[in-house]
Amino acid sequence: METRPYFVIGDLFSNCGVGALVGLAMAALVGPGWNMLVGMLVGMALGMAIALPFALGLGALFGAMETMIPVMTTGMVAGMIVSMGAAMQASGLAHAAELGALSGFGVVAATYLANAVLRRRTS
Amino acid sequence: MDVATREKWNRAAGSFDLMAGHGPEKRWEPFKREFFSRMGEGRILFLAVGTGLDIQFFPERRQVVGIDISPKMLEKAQPRVDAYRGKLETREMDVHEMAFEDACFDQVFTSCTFCSVPEPVKGLEALRRVLRPGGELHMFEHTGSRYHPFRLMMNLMTPLTRRFGPAMNRPTVENVRAAGFQIEGVEHVFLDVVKTIHARA
Repeated sequence: METRPYFVIGDLFSNCGVGALVGLAMAALVGPGWNMLVGMLVGMALGMAIALPFALGLGALFGAMETMIPVMTTGMVAGMIVSMGAAMQASGLAHAAELGALSGFGVVAATYLANAVLRRRTS
Repeated sequence: MDVATREKWNRAAGSFDLMAGHGPEKRWEPFKREFFSRMGEGRILFLAVGTGLDIQFFPERRQVVGIDISPKMLEKAQPRVDAYRGKLETREMDVHEMAFEDACFDQVFTSCTFCSVPEPVKGLEALRRVLRPGGELHMFEHTGSRYHPFRLMMNLMTPLTRRFGPAMNRPTVENVRAAGFQIEGVEHVFLDVVKTIHARA
């Protein structure tokens, strides 16, 4: 498991930051008039599209695959969760950003856990 | 010579260290130091040199021939090549058309290379040709993942990333087998994506 503070903080900063940004974008776009399934699919696709340039840029600072894969996943998850929520009921931008950042934190935790499990296995 | 690939990496040479020189190299430093510690006393082929970022991890006093398809990359690598305390020569060469005799190397090392070789199995077969029988192939590579959502992410990113650099979803372990190598070990560095592959010709 990664324990070097620069990379741990970098992972959290990257994923929580991108998650919050995606959350804001989805809350601004999706509203209670939307079909929830359509909102979810649009959220996933747009979330990944928004995350892509950040994944590439932040990868230069914090590590290639170790940054790109979770940041892209955060874009997808944050986009999906915030859009579904926004399609059900109107939510404030601050709440959407918070939910996006929490999604990013969850993706970092899940990636660290998956890495700990997969590193014990070989292909 | 694959001109399209050479031009792609010539274009990337200017910004390569900016993208790969800090975060990725620092993150992989402990793994790469261990990986390159396998360099032995015999004749070693290193594919592909790039801007020479990996040379800092080579043990001293080894006999290494480094090749790269891009002359711009080799130009950038020259100060690092000059600083190496051992015998290191570089040559501009396409892995598919290597001008080396059969069985002339004891070991081959690659580092994040087979994400970009246009015909990976043919490239690996070419490496097997230049390795002596029983010679060692050591690879530090990123590959596709077996697991979703990582697999989905990498499949979605690949059409974009391969325009200016690597593919993200190559089945490199399977390609090594397909090229006729005997795999001796695969160790995961990050998820099942970044890994070291150790094989014999």
